[in-house]
Amino acid sequence: MRRPQKSCPFCEGRVHYVDYKDDRTLGRFITDHGKILPSRLSGVCARHQRQLSTAIKRARYLAIIPYIRGHLA
Amino acid sequence: MTRRYEAVYIFDSTLEDAAIKEKIARFHALLQSPDQISVDHWGRRQLAYKIGPRDTGYYVIARFHATSSVLPEYERAMKLDDGVVRYLITLFEHEVGAPPMTEEEMARAARQEDDDDED
Repeated sequence: MRRPQKSCPFCEGRVHYVDYKDDRTLGRFITDHGKILPSRLSGVCARHQRQLSTAIKRARYLAIIPYIRGHLA
Repeated sequence: MTRRYEAVYIFDSTLEDAAIKEKIARFHALLQSPDQISVDHWGRRQLAYKIGPRDTGYYVIARFHATSSVLPEYERAMKLDDGVVRYLITLFEHEVGAPPMTEEEMARAARQEDDDDED
């Protein structure tokens, strides 16, 4: 049986560009460990998922969001 | 050809505000477009992870128009500056690559869910 398609939260919010400086939005699309959430779980469309993954990687470099969370050295 | 760029600088948070402003002015002088620069100070912020011994950084966002030929010199100045912990220069042209989605496309994508129910 086909899974009902989730609607893209960025399309619903009429977002044209995913901003790498917006840590609150990006925080919704990473797991507890800091991995990028797959679009299969979040429902983000392919175009916005591409923008999102670039944005998350830029934000990680700028120490806005962590590379790894919950890791004890 | 001039293009629009966005630069994020993370300065050492132990620097004085005046020293940071002086450094920004020095970097921007290399761009040769002083009238078209907008600077936004985020101020001191907790870093998501430690960078060397540092826990906090002073974030500054600048948007400017520049020709690509002036960028290497500008980037070199930042690279050599010890006060700059990290920097990132990105194109601030959202139409690079795929054109932005039109309102119509967005609405269609948002409606997708309803359409699927009908199938």
